[in-house]
Amino acid sequence: MPHYTELNIGPVHPSIHGIFNFKLILNEEIIQDVKVTLGFLHRNAEKLSELNLYADNIIFFDRMNYIDAMNMELCYLMSVEKITGIEPPERAQWIRMIMVELNRLAARLVGMGSLGLDLGMLTPFFHAFKEREKIQRIFTEASGGRQEVNYFSIGGVYQDFTEKIINDIRNFIDQFKKNLEDMYNMFIHSEIFWQRNQGIGIIEPELAFDYGVTGPAIRASGIPYDVRKDAPYLFYDKVNFDIPISHQKDNFGRFMIKVEEMRQSIRIIEQSLDKINDGPFFNPQGKKSLMLRIKGNGEAFSRVESDAGEFGVYVKGDNTTKPYRVHARSPGLRNLSLLPVISKGLMIADFIAVVGGLDPVVGEVDR
Amino acid sequence: MVATIKEIKIPKKPIPIIGSLETMYNVGRFMFKKPITTQYPEEKGEIPERFRFRIFLSPESCIGCTLCEQICPNHSIKMEVWEVEKEQGLVVETKRGARENLQNKRHIYPDVNFGTCTVCRNCEEICPTNAIYLTHQFEDARTRNSFTYSPQELARQEDDVIK
Amino acid sequence: MNLLFKLHQWFSFLGNYASYGIAYLIETIVVLAFVAISFIILIYVFRKYMARIQLRIGPNRVGKFGLLQLIADALKLMGKESILPKGRDDMAYKIAPIITMMSIMVSFIIIPYGGLYYFGNLTTTHSDITLILIFGILSIMPIGEVLGGISTRSNYAILGTLRGIAKDVSFEVPMLISVLAIVMVSSRSFVTGGSTYNSLSLAGIVTNEIIPYGIIEPLGLIVFFISMIARASYSPFDLSESDSELISGSTTEYGGMRFGLFYIGLFGMVYLGSFLVSLLYLGGYNGPVSSYFGFIFLLIKVIILVLIAFLIWLSLPRMRIDRFVQFGWKYLLPLAVINLIYAGFFVLYIR
Repeated sequence: MPHYTELNIGPVHPSIHGIFNFKLILNEEIIQDVKVTLGFLHRNAEKLSELNLYADNIIFFDRMNYIDAMNMELCYLMSVEKITGIEPPERAQWIRMIMVELNRLAARLVGMGSLGLDLGMLTPFFHAFKEREKIQRIFTEASGGRQEVNYFSIGGVYQDFTEKIINDIRNFIDQFKKNLEDMYNMFIHSEIFWQRNQGIGIIEPELAFDYGVTGPAIRASGIPYDVRKDAPYLFYDKVNFDIPISHQKDNFGRFMIKVEEMRQSIRIIEQSLDKINDGPFFNPQGKKSLMLRIKGNGEAFSRVESDAGEFGVYVKGDNTTKPYRVHARSPGLRNLSLLPVISKGLMIADFIAVVGGLDPVVGEVDR
Repeated sequence: MVATIKEIKIPKKPIPIIGSLETMYNVGRFMFKKPITTQYPEEKGEIPERFRFRIFLSPESCIGCTLCEQICPNHSIKMEVWEVEKEQGLVVETKRGARENLQNKRHIYPDVNFGTCTVCRNCEEICPTNAIYLTHQFEDARTRNSFTYSPQELARQEDDVIK
Repeated sequence: MNLLFKLHQWFSFLGNYASYGIAYLIETIVVLAFVAISFIILIYVFRKYMARIQLRIGPNRVGKFGLLQLIADALKLMGKESILPKGRDDMAYKIAPIITMMSIMVSFIIIPYGGLYYFGNLTTTHSDITLILIFGILSIMPIGEVLGGISTRSNYAILGTLRGIAKDVSFEVPMLISVLAIVMVSSRSFVTGGSTYNSLSLAGIVTNEIIPYGIIEPLGLIVFFISMIARASYSPFDLSESDSELISGSTTEYGGMRFGLFYIGLFGMVYLGSFLVSLLYLGGYNGPVSSYFGFIFLLIKVIILVLIAFLIWLSLPRMRIDRFVQFGWKYLLPLAVINLIYAGFFVLYIR
């Protein structure tokens, strides 16, 4: 009978993305079993949403996946707009699309940098955060908030794009293309990076289906599932972009998918900036002075492709100013629940790399 | 115009040692780039125009409608009685000439708890008279028990607020 | 003329033995002071260097350009409460950082520093077997790490220590074999072709090293340099620390100045490793110009090596432990053996 060691990773640990607890059952360095404990960051967001006005709930969704706040807002608002019948005008849709893709870049940068830290590379993290700071600067220019932006409103956006913001985004994109390749080169030329990621945390396509895994994890398993393609929202059916897939199935494939998606996000932003038209940026039905009076009736479910995967929000209204029920489907929870399955037989170092590769955000997992 | 599916190309596997040397070059060449950090207390970066933080109140235009209290998502705003008109003799210009501010008949003004405020800007958006507004000021460190700003303090500059 | 004899002459009024004793003492203190000051500069340089690569500024608050930052840090570490883990083995826990620190300090006294214009030769230890001595002392250093890890009974520390032991076992054999090749090449003089008698002392090796041995034995240089990275245990071989997996590895339960000693030990080992590489493989204090400035040549070589080491530290990810053990036994050891055979042929036929 081998001797088993119990090792706690988390809730406070240098390489844990947020606060959750893994109890690793180890045979020397080999992981025999993983027990995941979640709920350290449970903030009752769903119940709180039932007690607040439709327009107020946006801030709770900002704080779900806090590194991908725009996508969270967008998903909630898409549901709310369905049940209240307030359609956003065209310009607002384009603005939303640009912002969502910028935020996807920011979230991917965080994932990329912290994967480097998890593997022991100190430098790429800072370069990634430098770029992310520029994106957040643009968010501040547009909305006033750096990370929890609260930018989208029911039927549009709070404040219009100015010429300066559009120029800023163009300038950012221009220099970001080169910086992205610089960062990518910091990773990809190192053979140790390959060693640490190839063949680690293999997710078979059947397993991914069973556990409801989405996002880069399922695309790295060779399944071209992307909400932006399969159920286009906003104007994703009006722009050209690629859905990268890979048959690597491992952590390396996920990393490559994320980098390629960043390049595609740049393409989407460039096309959107060309196509953005003049016009109203919000629907008068959803204007601010009416925030207290917006009523929803019926139920709606909408989904977006957030950085970790398919994020969905269900909203049911009972013809009052507050929703009757709000529920969020978080991709991070599905991805994390797969961890005990794929990490059997890995070493501790690999386990850390796998968690880094799935980049869960606990705000969204625990809600 | 729909998304196309593309199998990504996996780059060639690096040669040991030489790959590491390339990585060292890729990292080390940033040695002579300019630092991007801001030395905060000495140099303060430019604050974007729409940046929002500290809430201010202009008592002469507040009408005590409690809309901000209703819209606040975290219930950080409570209305509080403040006889500001008697204290300061506030005067409002109207068509019939100057007179006391009688719009706020219940004499209630917002009282903000910054400990729970998420700076969501909803109060500013809904305020019909622009009495409550957010500013660029963000340097207001506090002790834990003094996050609550009474209407008197909301109307003053941060330096004048004694806590 | 070396510094020791000069000091001996100054104190000759005390009698032969006493003056030698005092001369040794003073010279040791001078060398240790030099080493301590260079540690401070080294850590400062590392932090600035790291900051610049990461597009930051680095320490710039304490003193001009942040030069006094390390002193402030050391004072902070000393002033900290010493938190002792409950289930510790008290003696082992307290002695471990001292062992690490002492072995580093003693190694610096053994190293030959070459001559400096007025002072003469700065070497302190005049022995015929300094090479054996220094590797003997280097093998004491991991004992401190192991004691520190095991005595705290923390799972993180024990895992880190196990990794450290596995790492030590797998690189020390190739390291010593590559040193053996140096001794073989050095045992035959380039000039006369006859055998030399002091090829087991570092000073003797450097004297024989008219062509840097790194040019003669590039394989040995690679193996020895990698071994020195592993000995100092920084990234990519910081397996006993593994800060993203095991918090801080074998030093997890240490705090205050005890942790500070381990930290200085790490940087000291980077420094010492650069000294050893430059002495054994890059010609030590031999330089293009006269040996008056041998010490300066040695320092320049060491600084370049230290900067390369820091760059490696900052750019490469950590290797996994099983990969490293494989790397040690499957690549480093055969390379070292090939290098040894090559050195034998070199000595016999090429001269």
